[in-house]
Amino acid sequence: MPNVAPPDGLLKPYDTTRDGAWTISEAAHLLGRSQFGCTPAELDQAVAGGLNDTVERLIVPQPESAEFRQAEEALRKTAFATGEIADLKIWWLYRMWATANPLAEKVALFWHNHFATSNDKVRSIPQMLAQNELIRAHGLGSFKSLLHGMSRDTAMLVWLDGNANRKRHPNENFAREIMELFALGVGNYIEKDIQEAARAFSGWHVREGAFWFNQLQHDESTKTVFGKSGNFDGAAIVDLCLSQPACPRFLGMKLLKTFVCPEPSIAMIDAVAVRIREHDYNMSPVLRELLSSQVFFDASCRRNVIKSPLDLVVGSLRSLAATVKWPPVSRLLANLGQDIFEPPSVKGWEGGRLWINSSSILLRTNFATELASGDQIATLRTAIVDMAGGASEAVAAQIERLLMGGAADAALHSEIAGHHHRVEGTALQKLRSTLQLVMSLPEYQLQ
Amino acid sequence: MTTTRRDFLQLLGTAGIVSLGTIPPQFLTRAAQAAPGIAARDKRVLVLIQLAGGNDGLNTLVPYADPAYEKARPGIGISKGQVLKLNDSVGLHPSLTGMRELYDEGKVSIVQGIGYPNPDRSHFRSMDIWQSAQPLNENPRDGWLGRALEWQFDRQPALAEALSLGTDKLPLAFVSTRVNVPTLRRLEEFQLVDGQATVANRNLTRAAQRQLADKPSTSGSELDFLRRATTTALTSAERLKSLSASYRTTVSYPGTSLASKLKLIAQMLTADLPARVFVVSLDGFDTHSGQLPGHAALMAELSGAIRAFEQDLVEHKLSDRVLLATYSEFGRRVVENGSLGTDHGAASMLFAVTPSERSGLHGKYPSLTDLTDGDLKFNIDFRSVYATMLDKWLEIPSAGILGGEFSPIPIV
Repeated sequence: MPNVAPPDGLLKPYDTTRDGAWTISEAAHLLGRSQFGCTPAELDQAVAGGLNDTVERLIVPQPESAEFRQAEEALRKTAFATGEIADLKIWWLYRMWATANPLAEKVALFWHNHFATSNDKVRSIPQMLAQNELIRAHGLGSFKSLLHGMSRDTAMLVWLDGNANRKRHPNENFAREIMELFALGVGNYIEKDIQEAARAFSGWHVREGAFWFNQLQHDESTKTVFGKSGNFDGAAIVDLCLSQPACPRFLGMKLLKTFVCPEPSIAMIDAVAVRIREHDYNMSPVLRELLSSQVFFDASCRRNVIKSPLDLVVGSLRSLAATVKWPPVSRLLANLGQDIFEPPSVKGWEGGRLWINSSSILLRTNFATELASGDQIATLRTAIVDMAGGASEAVAAQIERLLMGGAADAALHSEIAGHHHRVEGTALQKLRSTLQLVMSLPEYQLQ
Repeated sequence: MTTTRRDFLQLLGTAGIVSLGTIPPQFLTRAAQAAPGIAARDKRVLVLIQLAGGNDGLNTLVPYADPAYEKARPGIGISKGQVLKLNDSVGLHPSLTGMRELYDEGKVSIVQGIGYPNPDRSHFRSMDIWQSAQPLNENPRDGWLGRALEWQFDRQPALAEALSLGTDKLPLAFVSTRVNVPTLRRLEEFQLVDGQATVANRNLTRAAQRQLADKPSTSGSELDFLRRATTTALTSAERLKSLSASYRTTVSYPGTSLASKLKLIAQMLTADLPARVFVVSLDGFDTHSGQLPGHAALMAELSGAIRAFEQDLVEHKLSDRVLLATYSEFGRRVVENGSLGTDHGAASMLFAVTPSERSGLHGKYPSLTDLTDGDLKFNIDFRSVYATMLDKWLEIPSAGILGGEFSPIPIV
């Protein structure tokens, strides 16, 4: 790995040596963005361990427990045996919830959204799983390898009509999407680039479930893309896209929107784009810098990302649940608008304010009720149940610490503690009602 | 038993639910009617059906007499014998039987050659353009209806309500920085579950939820957005709880998704829910391969649903209140592709079903030979249709919302 100079400016490392620079608030912010929620233990460990320690633990692969490996394998085999996408969804949801590598799962979801492919058309568990494993293999690794891999991925080829792309009748679907959605973004190519690139990808087909270069259907004549001419094939197009200045900027913009803030400035995008080029599209060093950076911890980037359904549901389950019933959780996520392995279109889930409408707010509120007080989707962790019986102030403070990174201001804290005081019933019932209230707050929809 | 608007207001009052704004006296008075057969301004409703994916206008309104059509579409062309002829040159796709009946009843206007300059063939860009009405804005943040609702909200908040039905996310058309539009799939979805709490605790919690959500909003931050959205959701849930009890009809709606959404709109109109604008989406128009069967099914779904809806409106004496129109992000290429389908194109057509008794064709059918890069040229900017809906139907001045003056089309 070549020696790369450290970042400066917006991406220079956040200074935790100052007094009050590393508190529960920073720890919760880091974990909230890089994971799906956090367990009480993870939060304590992050506060005690500090920024660098926590980032290392997120980026560097951690060993999975025997229990996780057995459960994950059993769920995967079930999906293969049944051939039902519902079972593959549960396999992945379980991974997100139970893994010792939550950032890897969050990044896998990021790429699934980026290369959004739906089983609705692909109709194959092995192919959807293979795409997911391609993402895992390179998700925290090389984007170059990932993009090349995706251009030959069978699920992607089925999804974007690869087999219809033939020498005399090119099909533009994949060529358009690789430029518009996977590498460059709108405005960074012309229609002619797409038409020519489609010819370069002609003959890149699927046969018997595997990639097949259909020579007879491949257009071998000269193509002109981005002003360059040659007898390009698909791989050459991928390389041409990667060398466009728009590519690291497009990728940077997407990383910033997912992990840092909903409307990144041009300066932020430029800064990340520079680092992506410096690191030759390697995601681990880029994410390490981003998650440790000044801008990441800036006040303007805190509590301003609306939680996706997975952030809300899997995050809450990671914080609060001892055991989970996955089928109803999977259905809830679909109703909330984030049905993994079945994105609404190749554009994926745009997220942000678009997660929120009256229907989804009511579902989120009902989820809070169910998780806090019901038994249809989960049982509460012992550590949570043990909070019951404390004084209202203490119970409120503990819930706020775990679920809101201690972010409730004095007035809100007083209202939460007041609610705990007013509701009737056993200590456990009062705790449950307070959990329900906190999880239905508009504040709780943010991270 | 029908639930009138007055009952709704009482419901809002007695339940102590925060209202969506002050209710001015005009809200409850009758205004003069614009023309016979057309409802008073404050009763008029706009229903938009999004044909998602890019509807093939050429196979919807077929230029059957033009030899260039048959030449361009040897595999997927609709033959002269099959079209439902409207005149000597164009006819409807054979599955549009319900639409044809409405046309004969004088209720259908068809706008031909509709599009915009420098068409974009990306679904997402082109749909954004149709929804924002801002072809030059690469990152639109709001939609034409959102802006219209804001204008309305500033003057008469009670008339600024809208609903998106059956969509997973709020269409950009409705997005605005201040007015929040609910979305809905089924009435039953729109309820808070009781959980296991006692009645007393449930009421305490509901009250606390409302109070903690309904804090003043000024900064346009994500938190403010969430607060407003939460308040809207909680309010709508209460209102819609009483709807399902009051609706009856003799019309037999087809069992399709679109029909069920239009039926839901009819129910809401019957119960006098204040929403003024509705958007529903019909998906599946991106027919890159094997177009004929899929497109025929969609045409049948569209036609059957609209026919039943219009019959239901007549039965409930509501048809003078509703203007319904379709829209799609682009048409498709003239020449079919190698997979018996069509690729993304440009200009297309749309249907409007209106209470004015004058069916007709507006604009010109684009030439199939004088093309731009293989695509039909437009002759009516889609914003003219919006201007018509805003100025003539909702009586909201369009120029500020659309960023310019666009000549209206005489469809209403």
